[in-house]
Amino acid sequence: MMEIAFLLNGAPLRVQADPTRTLLDWLREERRLTGTKEGCNEGDCGACTVMVTDEDGPKTLNACILLLPQLHGKAVRTVEGIAGPGGELHPVQEAMITHHGSQCGFCTPGFVVSMAVAHKLGRQDFDDQLAGNLCRCTGYAPIIRAAKAAADAPVPEWLDDPLPEVAHLPFRPETADELAEWYLAHPEATLIAGATDVGLWVTKDLRDLAPVAFLNGVRDLRGIEVTENAIRIGACVTISELGRAIGPHYRSFAELIRRYGSVQVRNAATIGGNIANGSPIGDSPPALIALGAVLHLRRGTERRSLPLEEFFLDYRKQDRQPGEFVEAVTIPRQPDRLACYKLSKRFDQDISAVCGCFNVTVADGVVQDARIAFGGMAGIPKRARAAEAALIGQPWSEATVSAAQTALERDFTPLSDMRASAAYRIEAAKGMLMRYFLQPQPVLEVQA
Amino acid sequence: MKRHAKIDGPQTDRRLDGMAQGVLGQPLDRPDGPLKVTGRATYAAEVRLDRMVHGVLVRAPRVGTLNGFDTERVRGMAGVLAVLTEGLPRNSAQGAIAKSPPGNEGKAQYVGQPVALVVAETLEQATHAAWTLEVGIMPSIPVINPHAAPTEFPEKKQRDLGDLEAAMAEAAATLDETYHTPTLSSAPMEPHASIAEWDGERLTLHGAYQMLKFNRKQLAEALGIDPSAVRVLAPYVGGGFGSKLGISAEAVGAALAARMLGRPVSVVMHRRQVFEMTTRRSQTQQRIRLAADVDGHLLGIGHDALVSNLPGETFSEPVQQGTDFNYAAPNRKVVHEVARLNLIACGSVRAPGEAVGVTMFEVAMDEMAHRLNLDPVEFRLRNIPDHDPLDGKPFSSNMLAQALTEGAQRFGWRHQPPRSRREGEWWIGTGMSAAVRVNMLTESEARVTLTPEGRAKVETDMTDIGTGTYAILTQIAAEMLGLPVAQVETVLGDTDLPPASGSGGSFGAASSGSSVYLACLEIRSQIAARLGIAEEDLTLKDGHAIHANRTIPLSQILDAPITTEGHVEPGDSGKIARNATYGAHFAEVAVNDVTGETRVRRMLGTYACGRVLNVKTATSQCHGGLIWGIGMALTEELIHDPRDGHAVNRDLAEFHIPVNRDVPDLEVYLLPERDDWANPIQSKGIGELSICGAGASVINAIHAACGVRIRDLPATPDKVLAGLMQIES
Repeated sequence: MMEIAFLLNGAPLRVQADPTRTLLDWLREERRLTGTKEGCNEGDCGACTVMVTDEDGPKTLNACILLLPQLHGKAVRTVEGIAGPGGELHPVQEAMITHHGSQCGFCTPGFVVSMAVAHKLGRQDFDDQLAGNLCRCTGYAPIIRAAKAAADAPVPEWLDDPLPEVAHLPFRPETADELAEWYLAHPEATLIAGATDVGLWVTKDLRDLAPVAFLNGVRDLRGIEVTENAIRIGACVTISELGRAIGPHYRSFAELIRRYGSVQVRNAATIGGNIANGSPIGDSPPALIALGAVLHLRRGTERRSLPLEEFFLDYRKQDRQPGEFVEAVTIPRQPDRLACYKLSKRFDQDISAVCGCFNVTVADGVVQDARIAFGGMAGIPKRARAAEAALIGQPWSEATVSAAQTALERDFTPLSDMRASAAYRIEAAKGMLMRYFLQPQPVLEVQA
Repeated sequence: MKRHAKIDGPQTDRRLDGMAQGVLGQPLDRPDGPLKVTGRATYAAEVRLDRMVHGVLVRAPRVGTLNGFDTERVRGMAGVLAVLTEGLPRNSAQGAIAKSPPGNEGKAQYVGQPVALVVAETLEQATHAAWTLEVGIMPSIPVINPHAAPTEFPEKKQRDLGDLEAAMAEAAATLDETYHTPTLSSAPMEPHASIAEWDGERLTLHGAYQMLKFNRKQLAEALGIDPSAVRVLAPYVGGGFGSKLGISAEAVGAALAARMLGRPVSVVMHRRQVFEMTTRRSQTQQRIRLAADVDGHLLGIGHDALVSNLPGETFSEPVQQGTDFNYAAPNRKVVHEVARLNLIACGSVRAPGEAVGVTMFEVAMDEMAHRLNLDPVEFRLRNIPDHDPLDGKPFSSNMLAQALTEGAQRFGWRHQPPRSRREGEWWIGTGMSAAVRVNMLTESEARVTLTPEGRAKVETDMTDIGTGTYAILTQIAAEMLGLPVAQVETVLGDTDLPPASGSGGSFGAASSGSSVYLACLEIRSQIAARLGIAEEDLTLKDGHAIHANRTIPLSQILDAPITTEGHVEPGDSGKIARNATYGAHFAEVAVNDVTGETRVRRMLGTYACGRVLNVKTATSQCHGGLIWGIGMALTEELIHDPRDGHAVNRDLAEFHIPVNRDVPDLEVYLLPERDDWANPIQSKGIGELSICGAGASVINAIHAACGVRIRDLPATPDKVLAGLMQIES
């Protein structure tokens, strides 16, 4: 048990909690705040969306896979705290009623919180802001209309939450040094950053994770440093922060991130977590590998760096020693030639069947360098070395690309699964390569 | 006083058109909106009772004979109060049936079947113990493949008129193709939940259910008690779409455990259990045959369907329900075959039958139009029957031609050959389909009270599962009694109130609405009698009676509240005339030549459903249906493991209901109509019509865009790309 301090709907609280208690269960079971709904208990549907404010401002998170210690020192608002203390409706709530954005009402509280956070942030990209909330009745258009209608109303002052001063928590290191020392002593521990994956170990597998350490307080792993030669991204940088920071440098990477999970997931998930858990279908590793990213690992005081692609050894097997953790990843500065293509059945909130990332350097009509990486094509995020070899040193022509397409068949033997057939994956990968060649500019999102 | 009406023929007086308040049909905000946007609407799982404990259901991990549970170990775990292994149903009850759902007879007949309930002090303890409980099973080989299964041919679902084979042999143009749709799931946002509480011999169940008067009887029979001892409460239900028609294991389990422990018991399904333990829409195989003359007049229609269900279940997806009357043809044959499989039970999912049957039939119609070189709109217009093609009955109304014509005009429909439009990597095309759905009236009762102060209360055990019942019943009463809507309160979802139709089969609004109408008509008659005039001559508006240039407040007419009941029953009307609703769907899609991705760019639906009670809630129903059509066409598929049949993608990450970005601008136009045969309010169902064929417009648009004909849903990028490669090679 640990004592966690945070603000709930404006009121300061101290809570004795088991480290893997989810906010959703705690809200519904202990606080009897049942406005926050459980639709899936794994971060897919957004019915449990809450507003969490920290030093970076307000954001949406899925309460079902948010563990209480992650809230230490923050302010939480549930749908019950979106309306004013005297029951005054928030402008988005008024708009949801008049625009008929609520039917059965079960997804509504989650939508209302997502809308209120977007409203507070002045965001007008409603389609993106609400991409993490599923609705089975209404159709989404009335909800989007409601969000638009409320956009110009002033932000109610009751949503301004001061952040509580809190004590240092055990298992919640505040510096990388502190983490390194603790993890070396507890190499069997589970490190929890955003909990978008680890949360499911709790809610779906009922796994006992003890001991655990929460990384979201580690300040020196949260920075993004842009120098003349490289962009260094701390392991605890969230995918949302990465998306905002990377856009000016690699636009297609930012576009890929726009379709990564959902706003709620991106606000929690970290780049370090996305790399370290070694999923073959994580969307950031292929882009990072195509950019030639270098991974920085630390164990105690020892540090080592390696090309990111070398970190992924086999399905769910990474080159990581006990007690070793991801400290940062750096991307060498280079002209923006990157194009990322995500293929999934559903536009948003879907795991990639294939995610292809292309970065080819051409000078005087000849390919100087080629870095191509895929997710969903193998048990790990993987470079297409045969295809790269077929390109390098050759004229940048349709014939060369055609030869490289054939080489992709040597690079990959993908699986057929419910996301796509093996034949499709190969064909789509080949098509992506030709698309990259035919597009005069790096392709951003391909929209109909 | 009770006003009763059995509907034996057309209701031509159209009394609602003579009312003065002017609120019916208007886009009234739902009265329950403020509660829902603030999180204060209380769903079944959210009732908190003293001493309440938690139950978690245990699933069968394989198919076979149940062979004991290690209950001793689990009973010794912290907090565990009970382990129930007897009395749980094998699967959910079907809708509108007064019988309890079947027991398991000592067998696990599908993976995921509820076989035990573990109850503990806390949800965590119950979950942990439920996961720990080992289910002993003597395995048997499950039957998963419908083609290798025992099958049945239900007598009432076969049709044979004329000689289809001869028509196929002689026709100028024919089509004989086979189509497949996968298992689909309702996937309502609210997982199924029940909280049971006993007071002596009386049970109160807070449940997420759609048809309370049946749920009460189903539960009573499962518990061996009289229905009068059961009260079911469901004031707010987070979506149903058929999955909450009949009681499921969580309700029976909660009631049994609560009786045993003498404490309230809450059982809430988690999302994976919703997929496994409630009903699914059967996968279908559909062989469709069409024969036409050179002018595109259909001579023959054949529709053979293979569907599935568990052994003993009477429900079978009525795939050909729309085929009976959609188009004219003298030679007709329908073969309906049911395979008995060891898979999740099948039941009604939004528009059972037409949702998949009309959809694939409308794909076949599109293929046939191409073979005939006819505009698909024109092809359909040429084949609209002027009476029921099976038995010559008149149509109560048939608005298909108007829906097609109006829709084509509003959409800007232009028939073009496939692959005529390209934008960069994207092929662009438009497709259309017709919509038909049977319309039903079911028995329904309601009570209405009018006070001298001019306030009214509507009470019935009808449910609002997101459909807008609170709004429309309020509007009907306000219209009939001449009151502002704010003066009318509607109370729903309690079996202590008069029994209603329940929500299902698109009959809820018209059936429960008719009962409210009748109760109000009785109130009007009593007011008229007090004024010494005929009811027809009475005008009620804004709390006043108006007659012969006199305006009298209700308080001067009534000295006490009047309470009446309305009771509507189906009669011969539905037997004399074919009752149905009609519409048309139009879609524009873009298909990516590189990846096979499909994006729907715009969609339009025109629908005729009789009188529209609230244009906002009705339109929303149509939006929902169109989106279900997009899901059916492109993304939704519950996949069964071919080895043991378990649902592989039983979560909302992998069972792909459409997200916002999958849905383009949707335009809905409701055609003005009154259907006198339907009921006294001339209104028909709208909750399902817009899913009937909507997916076909998308599939047909894919063909129009890129030339790829998808016959197996959903049209995932891998199927589309394979088609593109075939065309291009």
